Amino acid sequence: MTTRWLEVRRTGPRGTRRRWLAAVALLVGSVGLVAGSTLLGTVAIPPQLVFQILLHQVSNGGLYPAPCAGVTVSQPLCGAYVVIIWQLYVPEILLALIVGAALGISGGALQGIFRNPLADPFLLGISSGGTIGAAVIYVYRFQEANADLFLPLFAFIGSVGTGLLILGIARGRFSSVETLLLTGVALANLLSAILSLILLYNPAGSDQVTFWLLGGLGLATWQVDGIACGAVLILATALALHGRELNLIQLGHDVAQSAGVDARRVRVRVILLASLTTAVAVAFTGIIGFVGLVSPHIVRRVWGTDYRVVLPGAAAVGAVFLLAARDVNYLLFPGSLLPLGIFTAFAGVPFFLYLLYRQRTASTMGAP
Amino acid sequence: MPLRLSGVTVRFGARTALADVHLEARPGEFVALAGPNGSGKTTLLRAVLGFLAPDQGAVELFGRPVSSLTVLERARSVAWVPQGESPRDDVRLFDYVLYGRYPYHGPLDAETADDRAIASRVLEEVGLADRAEDGILSLSGGERQRAILGRALAQTSPLLLLDEPTSHLDIGHQLDLLDRVRRLTEGGKATVVAALHDLNLAARFADRIVVLSRGRRVADGPPSAVISEELLAEVWGVVADLRRDPRSGSPYLLPHHLVSAHPSPPGARIGRGPVHVVGGGGSGGPYLRALSEAGYRLTAGALNLLDSDLETAESLGALTAVEVPFAPLGAEVRQRLRTLLDAAAAIVVAPFPVGPSNLPNLEEVRGYLARTPVLFVRRPPGEEWDFVGGRARALEEELRRGGAREVDGVPEMLATVADLLPRTSA
Repeated sequence: MTTRWLEVRRTGPRGTRRRWLAAVALLVGSVGLVAGSTLLGTVAIPPQLVFQILLHQVSNGGLYPAPCAGVTVSQPLCGAYVVIIWQLYVPEILLALIVGAALGISGGALQGIFRNPLADPFLLGISSGGTIGAAVIYVYRFQEANADLFLPLFAFIGSVGTGLLILGIARGRFSSVETLLLTGVALANLLSAILSLILLYNPAGSDQVTFWLLGGLGLATWQVDGIACGAVLILATALALHGRELNLIQLGHDVAQSAGVDARRVRVRVILLASLTTAVAVAFTGIIGFVGLVSPHIVRRVWGTDYRVVLPGAAAVGAVFLLAARDVNYLLFPGSLLPLGIFTAFAGVPFFLYLLYRQRTASTMGAP
Repeated sequence: MPLRLSGVTVRFGARTALADVHLEARPGEFVALAGPNGSGKTTLLRAVLGFLAPDQGAVELFGRPVSSLTVLERARSVAWVPQGESPRDDVRLFDYVLYGRYPYHGPLDAETADDRAIASRVLEEVGLADRAEDGILSLSGGERQRAILGRALAQTSPLLLLDEPTSHLDIGHQLDLLDRVRRLTEGGKATVVAALHDLNLAARFADRIVVLSRGRRVADGPPSAVISEELLAEVWGVVADLRRDPRSGSPYLLPHHLVSAHPSPPGARIGRGPVHVVGGGGSGGPYLRALSEAGYRLTAGALNLLDSDLETAESLGALTAVEVPFAPLGAEVRQRLRTLLDAAAAIVVAPFPVGPSNLPNLEEVRGYLARTPVLFVRRPPGEEWDFVGGRARALEEELRRGGAREVDGVPEMLATVADLLPRTSA
């Protein structure tokens, strides 16, 4: 569990300036990324038209009264573009940002509370629970008419249910975080077994479940975005207020307790909040791996280990990361939205390994 | 009263970690908790911190039961320097010390100028002001322990608990750290309770030592009243010599060996004898040490100053007769020697080289043949030892004929002495 490569050395005035530069770069980069993302999607639309349509929609016609006037494409096609951009691309982009932020912050919080760099949002069986919930919909064709509504609901119930079950089981011996972790791992395995059993006897839904297991933005609508945004905003804000507690918990739960942190309560609260945040993400996008694991590491690497920075930072980096993964998808496979988990891994793993390699050399030089 | 434990009992399953412990710490006092590993020191501190609830008894902080305090209230009244806190992240030292200000803020407050002033002052106090901007992982072990102390001090709690704060430090850093802790208590500013397994450090820095053994309080008082050879033998199972630090006047123990490593026969403890050893030039050392270890009181001489045997004899607490270097024994010293020989229950003559100045030793011993058992150690063959033209050999022959027993080496000497001195003669 000791992880030398987690130790980050960024101190002194020079480090401070670097941090600010990095923050500005992230902000500018993410604005550019969001703008650029609108050019990418299932349909290739001329860039100039994309921005005309966006300006028109954002200002409600004030800045650009008639986006389809005087363009080279036909009026009906332009009308379709408006719908595609405004009802498809923009909700997709926003959902990527929201879910990325949710996964990033909940990964950061769980890594902090478990003092374990390998912790990620799906650690406590939340993914398995959500998948079971989704599988029920896919496999049993339950309420097919309202799948858009019922799929997230069932996935959410499955995720949260699993999280609460683990907290409940471990509550008796809650003094040890290891007990909690192992309970989560054990239960996740049991749920996977149940899932396998369901799919074995109902091969009909297995394709969709596989797709779900790799996650995607297919459900994105303005309505979904609204619900997800509201929920994540509240939960993430509540999580982000635990930075000082997590800082002290890094010194050990007992030390934190002696310094005034009610470690037991904070633990339950943070795990609960992180589980809910993850469950929201899982409900709308399935299991998108790697964002929650890697984002906090990037933040620690660049901005230091203060959890007051790590938590909001992981949300920001997670948002940008997931959006970037979406864009990589469209760049490599124009026109088709593939499972996003594939691209978070493709984009994330090399970068992550690069970070690890750099960090190891840095810390073996400095760490005692 | 900053801290009061009354009748505290803590059990872990069948094991009793603390049994009916009473303890008080008065304002400004430095109380050392001493005791071997597993004696309950850490358990006691954890009970004070509210980490575990006693099965019986009560823990009070400043007159209020610990169990009635919130985590925040507790943090404001007691700070803790744990055993082996090892920060993993390279937090800036100044920020790390600021962590100690946690109990004074809500979730949205930023640190105030006050907090910063306190952090700076604390860093000054622990001697790390110049390292404030450095990462905590770049500190050495001794500095890091002081940083941890600094974080605890930033809590500005009037009671400070330390759990083996010096266990990973070299001797210089041990003294430095405890000296700083000691200074905190001056003027009644803070009260300190520190678990220290090193009795000598405890004796040197603490106002009071409370000794725990298997969860029980077995001693409580100022160092000079608590520290004793018997305590070390009983509680730690270690045989030691009690000394006094010539500069500070505090008692200290010179640990020697485990009681069980050289079990003395029953009743053999301290006080048999005395056995007088005649030696010189280092020849008497092994015999003095063996006799002391077996529990005999010792006398020795006459010896010249600077003789290594004299040093050995004195370090073992033997009474000695001493002459200036290289001088023949004077009348006064001979008188002193006779006094010692009068008191001796047995006399051991070590194989010392005999010259004109120490020949009188043998002459004096001859006079005691009739009333005191005399042992003399066989000389190694071929070694010259008589530097007085045969007079020494003649004297040895006289001893032999007069009933002195010749023994070969330390073990035989010990066995013979043990035979000669019945165990009841303590």
